[in-house]
Amino acid sequence: MSVLIAPSRRELVRTAARRSLRRRQIVGRIVLGLCVLAVVAAVAPLVALVYFTISRGVGTLSWAFLTHAPTPPFIPGGGISTAITGTAEIVGLAIVLAIPTSLLAALFLFERSGKLAAALRFSADVLTGVPSIIIGIFAYAVLVLPLHQFSTLAAAFALAVLMLPIMIRADEEAMRTIALDLWEAGIALGARRGRVARSVILRGALPDLVTGNLLAIARAAGETAPLLFTLATPLAAMTLLIYTDGTQAFPSAQRTAWATALVLLSFVLLLSVAARLVAWSISRRAH
Amino acid sequence: MTAEQPILPAALAAVAAGPVHGGDTVVALRAGGAHPQVGAPAREDAALEGVPSLALEGVSVSFGEHVAVRNVTLAIPSREVTALIGPSGCGKTTLLRALNRLHDHTGGRVEGSIKLGDLDLYAPGTRPELVRTRIGMVFQRPNPFPAMSVFENVVSGLRFNGVHGKTLLREAAESALRHAALWDVVKDRLHQPAMRLSGGQQQRLCIARALAVEPEILLMDEPCSALDPIATAKIEELITRLAPEVTIVLVTHNMFQAHRVAGRTAVFLLGEDRVGELVEVGPTAEIFASPRDDRTRAYVTGEVG
Amino acid sequence: MIYEPGPMGPDAVSGLVGPGRVSGVRGALRRRRSRLGDHAYSALRWAGAGLFGAVALGLLVGVGSDSSAALQHSGIGFIWSGTWNPAAGQYGAGILVVDTLLTTAVAMVLMVPIGLGTAIFLSELAPRWLSGPLSTLIGLLAAVPSIVVGLWGLLVLTPIFANQVEPFLASVPALGWLFRGEAYGPSILLASVVLAVMTLPTMVSLSRTAFGGVPVADREAALALGATRWQVVRRAVFPAARAGVSAAVTLAVGRALGESIAVAMVIGNRPAIPESLTTPGATLGSAIVNQFAEASPGLGTSSVIALGAVLLLLTVAVNAGGQALLRSGSGAPAHTAGALR
Repeated sequence: MSVLIAPSRRELVRTAARRSLRRRQIVGRIVLGLCVLAVVAAVAPLVALVYFTISRGVGTLSWAFLTHAPTPPFIPGGGISTAITGTAEIVGLAIVLAIPTSLLAALFLFERSGKLAAALRFSADVLTGVPSIIIGIFAYAVLVLPLHQFSTLAAAFALAVLMLPIMIRADEEAMRTIALDLWEAGIALGARRGRVARSVILRGALPDLVTGNLLAIARAAGETAPLLFTLATPLAAMTLLIYTDGTQAFPSAQRTAWATALVLLSFVLLLSVAARLVAWSISRRAH
Repeated sequence: MTAEQPILPAALAAVAAGPVHGGDTVVALRAGGAHPQVGAPAREDAALEGVPSLALEGVSVSFGEHVAVRNVTLAIPSREVTALIGPSGCGKTTLLRALNRLHDHTGGRVEGSIKLGDLDLYAPGTRPELVRTRIGMVFQRPNPFPAMSVFENVVSGLRFNGVHGKTLLREAAESALRHAALWDVVKDRLHQPAMRLSGGQQQRLCIARALAVEPEILLMDEPCSALDPIATAKIEELITRLAPEVTIVLVTHNMFQAHRVAGRTAVFLLGEDRVGELVEVGPTAEIFASPRDDRTRAYVTGEVG
Repeated sequence: MIYEPGPMGPDAVSGLVGPGRVSGVRGALRRRRSRLGDHAYSALRWAGAGLFGAVALGLLVGVGSDSSAALQHSGIGFIWSGTWNPAAGQYGAGILVVDTLLTTAVAMVLMVPIGLGTAIFLSELAPRWLSGPLSTLIGLLAAVPSIVVGLWGLLVLTPIFANQVEPFLASVPALGWLFRGEAYGPSILLASVVLAVMTLPTMVSLSRTAFGGVPVADREAALALGATRWQVVRRAVFPAARAGVSAAVTLAVGRALGESIAVAMVIGNRPAIPESLTTPGATLGSAIVNQFAEASPGLGTSSVIALGAVLLLLTVAVNAGGQALLRSGSGAPAHTAGALR
């Protein structure tokens, strides 16, 4: 049997370890340096985006800008109030359409098993990746073509379809994370009615439900492509307004675009931050 | 025989070293208490056989405010199996991990001194990677690298440390696998995925992997707790066979295992303030048959869990 | 890949009803009322699921049927036929598909190393007090609407690229040929950069999840053998996280393929074979955006919608693959105590 402690082999390993350590440490430091560079490259676009949006947009921002309606071209004094209220209407209507449906569908997936539920869950996962422009085309085909007109409803429908799969999966995940402990506790205490257990789960999952839904809403509020196919005029929504004004050659139009982008960006970022804060405070109060 | 080699001191040293499970080197200590008698016999062991032993002095490990194990002074003699026993939660595993500086990565703070021969493990200039090539570890659950074959697993430690010669790797792998009693099982399947082995075989693979780096000390953290009795027996047999060549420190919550394989046993218990401490250490036979501390007696007779 | 988590709701425990059966008339009435309640609830549940299912189906059917005119006109060759020239009545998606794949490929070449490096830093190398805020920061990038990124690309990046970046790149010795030609701004390269910026957060967050899912035991095993930190990452973490990272890249690709508005603003709307990366082009998404308003009703509109159908097929296939990879990777064992950074 070969000798385990072959002193020569042990010495060899020791020496190799010591000698290679310097090289290994240098490699480690190079990798660290590369990763730090990567982080800088990753953070830079965000910083640049925020910087330019603020610096180019803030000059045009004013109370008048936000509260006055747009004026015909080359007539000063206009604002983007119609776009702001338009976006609010469309997103609001989309929320009304999407949240109840998604909650019920998520409960359906959560509480039932079987091929149908699995197929629906898979569809939801796939649907979250559908490009928003396709959803715009869909809304166009379903609500604009047959009725021969653009409408707020069509736009809201498009955004609702966009949000639906995201909310369904987020809701179901929220329930599943909470569910195991609460469900077993509930059953152990002899929960008589499914409804009682259900409300326990909904209450427990509330923070995550709120976060997930608010994030989906923030995402939908920033979408442009679906609105291209469903709205008659760019003045009806902020994102469309940014697109039409931004792609024009006139500096005044571009300034409007930057200012509107600033408003939109602030709104979306605030909503994202609020989503996490609200969830955090709900879960704190519960304890 | 030349004049430079006095016979008497050498003979005395040989007597003092005694049988490997030496009674002379008993060091019975209480927590926070007596002075260590680690010194002479252990060092002479080392001088005779060229393998340093491990000396702990006043070692405590804490995580933030919480102290896991306190003020351990302990000598691990070389070429023996030393078992650390005690109920779960009294810091045996935490202490073990201090011995190969794994706490550099867990956030634990280690105080006191741990010396491998002359090397202070926690001195500022000591590189943890080099410490870990001299002190290896086998974990509670077998953890072969899932993406590697049997062979790649065994030589992974060598590769990490810059050993690449193909012949050397093959020789080292065969030697390590033989010593882990795994060679006959895997010699025809060296390049199959390691995860195809059974639990007990995977653990022996992990032992082989640790041995391939030729450590002086092998730390084993409850290596059999995830295994069935047959696999456990194989590994215990393995430990007994390895002991004369590699110093082994074995954490186990199974007293009988300690009795079966360990020459020396150290008993850890939870103090009043829920902090783990070393209660008594000595030859295994004495710890079980005639313990000096009441708490030890209570533990080994099963009065206390 | 169909999968079925176990049932969790009342349907799963129908046999385990607890105590409390009230007898008599009052009990019967209460039971009847609650049975109605249960029925109503069940109906609502079905309504929600049904509505969603209808939407999903409707999407496929709607887009399919409205493209039918175009497909009837050009046949299945629509997908790869060369020219897109509505003015001349020629409708073929080939160039657009090529440009779509090209911009996505270049975007990935730019984005994946940066995303992977960032994920490694956040997950393995950064001190804890830094990785939290940093990853929140990167996550914020995901919240930026694509129109804002497009605006920034159009008004800020285009002049910089036209005047400085692209001429510089054309002069680089080994790679200059990729960037030759007159550079006046909107280009494939610019579109790729914009796509890279937009897909970065997805890559970083999914990769981090993949790294985090590697069991602590694997890392400890490597450390105990004397590996340095980078060796642990390279030999123990990477191989185990392979599926998750592949899923991250695939899903990023899916996102890049479908991005339309931001690309439309910076790519120049030129459906012809690009001679270099600095010439303008047109992707499926950008063509839909740019052409829809002007498309002649009937065949024109139907062709634009048919572009949408092609895009839909492409993205659904890629995303389904990505989701499958994601699921195959997350079979990690549960003991990820996270004790090791």
